[in-house]
Amino acid sequence: MISVQKLVKRYGTGANARLAVDDVSFEVDKGEVVGFLGPNGAGKSTTLRILSGFLGMTSGKVSVAGFDIRDQSFEARQKIGYMPEAVPLYPEMRVAEYLAFRAELKRVPRRDRPAFVDDAMAKANVDDVANVLIGSLSKGYRQRVGLADALVARPPLLVLDEPTAGLDPNQIREVRDVIRDLGKEHTVLLSTHILSEVEASCSRVVVIAKGKLVAEGTMESISRKRRAAGLVLVVRGDVEAALSAVRAVPGIAKAEPEASGTDTHELRCSWQKKLDEAGTAQAIEQAVAALVSAGCFVREVRPIRSSLEEVFAELTSSEHGHEHEHDEKADP
Amino acid sequence: MKSFWPIYKRELFAFFVTPLAWVLITVFLLVQGMHFFLLVDHFSNMGAAASDQTPIQAFFGNTILLYLVLFLLVPPMTMRLFAEERRSGTIESLMTAPVSSWSVVLAKYASVLTTYVAMWAPTVFYLVILQRSGEVDWGVAASAYLGVFLVGAGYLSLGLLMSAITTSQFLALIMTALVVLGLFILGVGEFVTREGTLMHDVCSHVSVWAHMNDFASGIIDSRRVVFYGSCVVLPLFVTVRAVDAWRWG
Repeated sequence: MISVQKLVKRYGTGANARLAVDDVSFEVDKGEVVGFLGPNGAGKSTTLRILSGFLGMTSGKVSVAGFDIRDQSFEARQKIGYMPEAVPLYPEMRVAEYLAFRAELKRVPRRDRPAFVDDAMAKANVDDVANVLIGSLSKGYRQRVGLADALVARPPLLVLDEPTAGLDPNQIREVRDVIRDLGKEHTVLLSTHILSEVEASCSRVVVIAKGKLVAEGTMESISRKRRAAGLVLVVRGDVEAALSAVRAVPGIAKAEPEASGTDTHELRCSWQKKLDEAGTAQAIEQAVAALVSAGCFVREVRPIRSSLEEVFAELTSSEHGHEHEHDEKADP
Repeated sequence: MKSFWPIYKRELFAFFVTPLAWVLITVFLLVQGMHFFLLVDHFSNMGAAASDQTPIQAFFGNTILLYLVLFLLVPPMTMRLFAEERRSGTIESLMTAPVSSWSVVLAKYASVLTTYVAMWAPTVFYLVILQRSGEVDWGVAASAYLGVFLVGAGYLSLGLLMSAITTSQFLALIMTALVVLGLFILGVGEFVTREGTLMHDVCSHVSVWAHMNDFASGIIDSRRVVFYGSCVVLPLFVTVRAVDAWRWG
């Protein structure tokens, strides 16, 4: 549905030139909901603006639904429902009026327009404000009017730039629900800098930082990175015996006593590098078995997961920013 | 060109929904009404002394009032066209719809031109009133209105361009006013430079004062029509290039 190849965007010329997007390539297949993730200023909006036909690219090739965005811009733009970052709307228009205008602009035939507008308002949950001036709407409503605008011509592809930016938690949930429903009928590419956002609504993510692609893959393959950290075991019995038993388990790199209760001890273990999921599971079983045979009683087994935020920080921090980490799209 | 119509309608709507439009129209009609009243009063008192002119000629040419009105009217009409959309970001939704730069520029231009014509339309009643007590040469009146239309069309086109090259409405307003004023002053140069010099030729070619006097007397000179035609087409062309240029910034 979307194919981005070696996209480069440079702002300005000569000494003032700034590279906003640096050799980014990715694809979005039909029916996918893809999250476009990156810290602020990573080049997300620039990439989406190029995709939507608003900005020109410095070099590279972008095609949408098989149409080249440069040579067949017109056809490509007809396939996209684009919601810009700040959701710019005309404040002097009423919601239904505005959507009718947008539908006409997007060449919805005259006889279909009322139905398309009603449909978009129902899907985006703004039908109760159809006759309200856009200028007097709350931020949450405006955001959803922007969504309705993106939907109104029933495009096969939706490109949403930070659809939940600046909303309160309730509004975020509402918009998220709407997006999840939309994913059933449309291909969706949405950008965000909030990870839980992606986790809630996307099947695949593309992560960029400082204009470069740093990771791409399914949610599971990103989650696999977060399995990492280690294991906490709470045992009752002799600490030294427990430690030596655990340290002998293959897969465990380090084990340190962390805190002691009245009769229990907390042991913190970390995994060896590159231990896969099956290996981790096996190591946990073996650790428990080793503890029991060493005469210790196991009270608690608790895997330590690094939060998504930590994975995100690791992926997008400067040391990791330059190495390309491609995960295969197909997961085992 | 299919997208011309919705944008044109929206632009008209956006203009007439603001108080600015109604303030402009009210002030315009008040000033024109006073202008006309004073002229007719003057001519009916002076009688034979001013026999080389008619009120129509004086209304459309020969007095500073017409240019003052254009100078005050055109910049606030055109300032918001692109500058406002670029400042608020709505240009992004507009240009990502399947529209061509030409249709956006032409639709915006056509909407201000329509407004301009609508503002002048009520002044036809002045002539109708005049006809009740005297004689109106409708051929001359038509020529005068053609002049007003052409001059206004040229100025509006320049104003549209100024609005497209800045994101500040205020800057667009000032720049348009300066260009309109500059053209007027250059035209006045006709009367202060020596005849036969290049400067004199240039000044008389762009002299809106001389042009309007011709139009108001019923003289339609093809040079004037071509001049104002290019004042319309050239800025429109540059505006389209400017709109395309934002994308590659």
